[in-house]
Parts: sequence; structure tokens; C-alpha cells
Amino acid sequence: MSYSTFSPSNHDATREPMFFGRPVNVARYDKQKYPIFEKLIEKQLSFFWRPEEVDLTNDRKDFMDMPDHEKHIFLSNLKYQTLLDSVQGRSPNVAFLPVVSLPELETWFETWAFSETIHSRSYTHIIRNIITEPSEVFDTIVTNPEIIKRAETVTRLYDEFIQLVSVYSVHGAGVHQINGVSYDASLYNLKRKLYLTLVSVNVLEAIRFYVSFACSFAFAERALMEGNAKIIKLIARDEALHLTGTQHMLNLMASGAEDADFKQIAVECEEQVYAIFREAAQQEKEWAEYLFSEGSMIGLNARILGDYVEYITNVRMKALGLNEIFPARQNPLPWMNGWLVSDNVQVAPQEAEISSYLVGQIDNDVGSDDFDGFDL
Amino acid sequence: MSGIPRIKVSNYHTFFYQYEFSLLDALESQEIPAPYNCRGGYCGCCKVRLLDGEVEYVQDSLVDLQGDEILTCCCRPKTHIEIELPED
Repeated sequence: MSYSTFSPSNHDATREPMFFGRPVNVARYDKQKYPIFEKLIEKQLSFFWRPEEVDLTNDRKDFMDMPDHEKHIFLSNLKYQTLLDSVQGRSPNVAFLPVVSLPELETWFETWAFSETIHSRSYTHIIRNIITEPSEVFDTIVTNPEIIKRAETVTRLYDEFIQLVSVYSVHGAGVHQINGVSYDASLYNLKRKLYLTLVSVNVLEAIRFYVSFACSFAFAERALMEGNAKIIKLIARDEALHLTGTQHMLNLMASGAEDADFKQIAVECEEQVYAIFREAAQQEKEWAEYLFSEGSMIGLNARILGDYVEYITNVRMKALGLNEIFPARQNPLPWMNGWLVSDNVQVAPQEAEISSYLVGQIDNDVGSDDFDGFDL
Repeated sequence: MSGIPRIKVSNYHTFFYQYEFSLLDALESQEIPAPYNCRGGYCGCCKVRLLDGEVEYVQDSLVDLQGDEILTCCCRPKTHIEIELPED
């Protein structure tokens, strides 16, 4: 079925499935099948921030005073996050927009991917501020074998799905031979790939980011690189929201609310879903080993970080109704919680560190006599 | 129901709601180790089971909740309630 940027068909989108129904026609939000996605959009918009708002002059000094093995930890994490957000800034749009059928879900994908582009820009902002020659960092992302090893796993399902959707949009549903290669673009297989791709995206945002987050916050706990930590805190807040979005999609699919195929797929793919989580947790633990290969930092080492990966993997799997794959344990990094709070319920927004402080708010309750007590 | 809502927490004590912003704040003021993360209704860490009574929402809960699950950061008690914290 070929993709149309504006289908003139006069159908009711609330009767369509999330994916592989008729393409979205009018971007209207007065009638919604799943209002939760609009709530996510609103939340994401309320989170809007710009990297330039965060001052990094002290970070430059901190970075210059760091021992080499800590510089290695810091820059390696930044490189890995740059890679992850390069993927996330484009892939949700490229992969999911051609097959989405609900206007609110379509807009959620676009809002989501847009926020990832802010993250990408913030890495440039950080690197520009702490290093004289940013190319030294960016040019070595695609040449670092440790990063490339994981990039392949992060992008494999995305790429396979995008390829199948291209075949589907040109040739329609079915198995097709193209240049001697067979592509199973049957609707069932497309749905299967979509489900697994969403799981891998869920893993990317739910687990893969957290080793880097932990290191950034561990530096800031020692009052180092605090500007960076503030940016990472905003990124972590966005990622937690995106995660909720994919969890909703996956749970809706598995519940059978969408169509019977997805319910069956969720059952059939369970073993693969476990494998995706297991592989990601293993890779992140190996990454922690690599980070600390030149020396540990105060308060953090490869073992504690490995324990944290296991802990967070269990938490994420539980959210999808899966069984935990690692032994149950308490959060080995309890201080992380303080950095993951979104603080929109705090009562003193004039404090600079409140991240949801609204820009441009005006107090309308100013009377003409309010300044009577002042003398110049 | 009239009067101040009473909050019963399985395996912990029962106390009167002191009109904190949310149920999570109420639990924290009683030093009950209630789990939380984002406090904004989207991470799902503060999910507990509502065994009895009713709550009202003070902010949107964005997490997929089943049956009797509630997010403590998003609601406050409307009647006497009984809740159960997750095991670990």
C-alpha cells in the first residue's frame, strides 16, 4: 500500500488500529482513540528546554582538572549518548510515520523525535564548551569499536523494519523477490517486526542511557561538571517520558485491544523480547567495564554500575508485564533518584535548579499600591 | 464519609491524611519508604495497589495502569483508603 501524505479518504481515524490501518488524513485531535498520546505530547511540550540555557563555564574548568581516566569516562559516555540520540532523532519518524494510522500517535512520534534533536544539539553544546576542538570527539564516534559494537544492535531492528516497510509501500503486502532476495512483507511479518522494533526502542531508552546518566550524576554528586548534569537531568526526564509512550504501545498491542495478530505476536515473540533485554543488559555491563578500564571514579565502579544495570532492567521488564531476569535487589545507586525527579511539584520555582520553571510568567496580581513601602 | 481521610498501608501503620499535595508526600511525611522517581506521573515507579477506598487525581497519570493500581505521586485520598506497596 503506497504512502499518501494526505489521504482524501473520509474515514473515522478512531476506528483505525495504531499501525497499518489507513494513513492519517486530517491531523485532528478532537476525537481520539487513545487520548494518552496527546497527554504525552502536552507533557513533552511542557518539558521544552534549550541547551544554551545551561551555563557550562565551570564545567570547562572541572574538565581541565580531571585526571585522564575520568576524562575517558566522561567523553566516552558523551560519545555513546551522541550516537543513541542520532538514531533516535530520526528513526521514529522514518520507521513509524509511514505506517501509523492515528493522528494523535503520529504527532506523538514527531514530538518525541523532535525532543531527541534537542538532546543531540545539547551534546554539541557541552563538547564545544569543554573542549577546544570538538572534532576530536565527534570524529572518533564511528571509529570506536566499543561504540560501534552496540550501535549495530541498537539499529538492526530499526533498519530491518524500515527496509520491509519500503518493500511493502512499493509492492504491497506479500512475499516479494527483489534482485534475488526474498522479502517477507506480509502484514503479519511487518507487525512482528514492528513489535520487536518497539521493544528494542524501549530497551534503548529504558536501559542503554542509564549507565551514562549514572556517571554524569556521580560526577555532579562530587560537585563536578554540574552544568553537564543539569543538561543530562533534562534529557533523563525526556527519556523517561518517551519510555512511557513505548510501554503504552507495547501494552496495548499485547492486550489484544488493537487486533488479534498483535496479541498472538506478543506471545510468539516473548522469547525474543527476553533475548533483546538480556543482550542490552549484557552490552551495558560490558560498556561499564570499558568505561572503568583505565581507572574508577569515586563512588562508582564497574561492579556497582553492573548491579544498577541489572536493577533497572528488572524494573523495565516488570513495567511490560515480563518476569525479572536478574536477582531482585534494592537500587544500588539510591542517590540517582534525586536526579531523576522531574520537580514539577516543587514549591519554590524561583530557585534556579527547578527544571520546570516556566519562562515568561507574569504575576497579574500587582496593585498600584504594591510598591508604596519602597523609598528610593 | 466525613472527616479526615485515613490511610492504611499494608505492612506499615495507619495514619490520618494531613492534606499534603499527594499521597506520595503523605507517605513520605510518615517516613514510609514509598518508591518514586519522576513525581510527574510518567515513570510509574510509585505504582501501588488501592485495596479499599477512593482517590482523586491531582495531576495526570500517564502510565498504563491495570485494575486497582494507582500512582501515589498523582493522587490524594478522597475517602479512607487502604493501599499496598510493591514487595521490593
